[in-house]
Amino acid sequence: MPFAQSLLESLGRDLPYLYGPLFLVFAATLMIWPGDLLVGRTNKRAWSYVAFLVLAAGGAMALYAPLGQGFSGMFRVDGLTKGFQFLSVLAGLITIVLSQPQLNALREQTVEYYALILFSTAGMMLLVGATDLVSMYFSLELMALCIYVLVAYLRHQERSVEAGMKYFMLGAFSSGILLYGISLLFAATGGLTTNLAELNEKLALATPNHTLLVFAGVLMVLVGFAFKVAAVPFHMWSPDAYEGAPTPITAFMSMAPKAAALGAFVRVFGTGFHGVSGEWMLPISFLAGASMVLGNVAALRQQSLKRLLAYSSIAHVGYMLLGVMSADAQAGGQAIWLYMLTYLLMQSGAFAILIHLQGKGEGERIDDFRGLARRRPVLAFAMLVCLLSLAGIPPLVGFFSKFYLFKLAIEQGHITLTVLALLTSAVAAFYYLNVVATMYFKEAPEGELKPMGSGLALILTVTCALILVGTLFGPKLLDWTAKITLG
Amino acid sequence: MESLLLKIGQNLFLIFAVMALAGAAVMVFARNAVHSVIGFLFAMLSVAGCYLSLGAEFMGVAQLLIYAGGIVVLFLFVVMLVELSKAREARRFQGQTPFALLLVGAGLVAFVGIFWQTIFGASATEPLTLSQNLVSHGETLGNAQMVSRGLFAEYLLPFEILSVILLVALVGAVVLAKAERV
Repeated sequence: MPFAQSLLESLGRDLPYLYGPLFLVFAATLMIWPGDLLVGRTNKRAWSYVAFLVLAAGGAMALYAPLGQGFSGMFRVDGLTKGFQFLSVLAGLITIVLSQPQLNALREQTVEYYALILFSTAGMMLLVGATDLVSMYFSLELMALCIYVLVAYLRHQERSVEAGMKYFMLGAFSSGILLYGISLLFAATGGLTTNLAELNEKLALATPNHTLLVFAGVLMVLVGFAFKVAAVPFHMWSPDAYEGAPTPITAFMSMAPKAAALGAFVRVFGTGFHGVSGEWMLPISFLAGASMVLGNVAALRQQSLKRLLAYSSIAHVGYMLLGVMSADAQAGGQAIWLYMLTYLLMQSGAFAILIHLQGKGEGERIDDFRGLARRRPVLAFAMLVCLLSLAGIPPLVGFFSKFYLFKLAIEQGHITLTVLALLTSAVAAFYYLNVVATMYFKEAPEGELKPMGSGLALILTVTCALILVGTLFGPKLLDWTAKITLG
Repeated sequence: MESLLLKIGQNLFLIFAVMALAGAAVMVFARNAVHSVIGFLFAMLSVAGCYLSLGAEFMGVAQLLIYAGGIVVLFLFVVMLVELSKAREARRFQGQTPFALLLVGAGLVAFVGIFWQTIFGASATEPLTLSQNLVSHGETLGNAQMVSRGLFAEYLLPFEILSVILLVALVGAVVLAKAERV
């Protein structure tokens, strides 16, 4: 039995790379069955604590995984993998804490909700380490499929179901495009490999009559990724899906899948398609520029804070695409990682306040923030910190992450795009400050606000504290990022 | 006569491929859901034929058993259990049809151009085929063994992720369809 024996040996060798995501998958499965049988009908909210602990444990396992490559070149653990895995886990943890109050208010606590978050996070952890187009594709699907279900989770609300349906249809369509692009690349390299490093070598050697095929393949993979990160013009699904989804899931969607997909984006285009960068540099710069402009301009007109954050996240993706365009994949990955980390903190702080004001999932209009400063000065100040940091106003931490990203873009010679990014950042400051003005200078409506739950308050305190601490250490942030992402 | 048969034998793959496309077209354009399913069945059978003509017997038989046998029956059940007359009445997206046709036309032209250049282009030195060592591998090892090596050695990780995806699809269907939540 030499084949079976070698299989077992390589499995024993490669398995430690995957302890984190595997643990999440096993634990989530056990939570659904038999875990749900053992817990009574009244104790469903206990699942959020269990899920939190499981996710934290899975994240710790992933952080202590050995560095290396395994599963016949399908998965690789390096600093960048660990960094983006950390971001996904962090976003998952924040989402679980944010979910609890709203699901309690709606009486919709189930174990499946938390299990799906765990499955999705496992998919992201696999995605950011994938070094093969095949494993990358399947991880992407695992991540996305859970989120389709979570978006439509409140199935008694028509807009939630509509959002889920729309997201599912467009997501499935974009996956088809991505897969077709992969198959074209596979054909163009002679049907030999889908491994990113080998693909890079083979693509450089492709015969002249294959150039169009390679171009089409790379372009379709790009379109598939652009759908996943919601870059203009493939962003159509995102405002509707963001608005219809339960608000904690909106927060999740704007943080975790974007972090994971951007991590994979950098890896696929930075290592796999590095040699043919001439093919994708122009399309991707159009994507980035269009995302910055349309995301910010469309956000100006929004009445709903959820939609505003959706459009602004499109703009933030536009900025992060500058990092993908960097010829040095490592530096690009670092700048994106830092940007994503700070974005994640600011976004989760803003969402914590939004969820608190929403209660059962209604009031999400910017008008509902009227006079918050008089009713709740501390809350308003926290929102102020998050929004100013999102706008990238110095000296807050959001400024430093933007600064490093733009500096990298200028060093790489993308001057026009960087100027565009700076101009659109000014537009962004306008609509973020509009919310601030509503909070501070408008009359408050009648009625008392409920006190904030402990989970939301914790998230808000931690994120605000981290934003302020990060502000103090701004100039050193990039060095630390380099240390983390180099492994 | 004999030469005609020989020609058909040589181009079996193309014939099956065209049949599969025709089945898929019937599936998409049929107004009646049962006709759609039959078109789907026809497409799946033709794809099995494609596999067989490429010398992948295991894949062909698996395709027959799983798609033609299992999934089509499942589809027929759904068609019979679910009332579909409502869906037929609602005519949506009428205004978008011309744009869609235009886009499809442009895409078709682009892809025909790409494949034309790849296969018949001026500098076409080698035909677009599977690499030789993949093909010869199959002969020495046998079909089912090849598939198992692919699944359990080289593509173990994607295969396992796929199994988790199926689990998630199951859980998701239950989450969205279950009548009562606590």
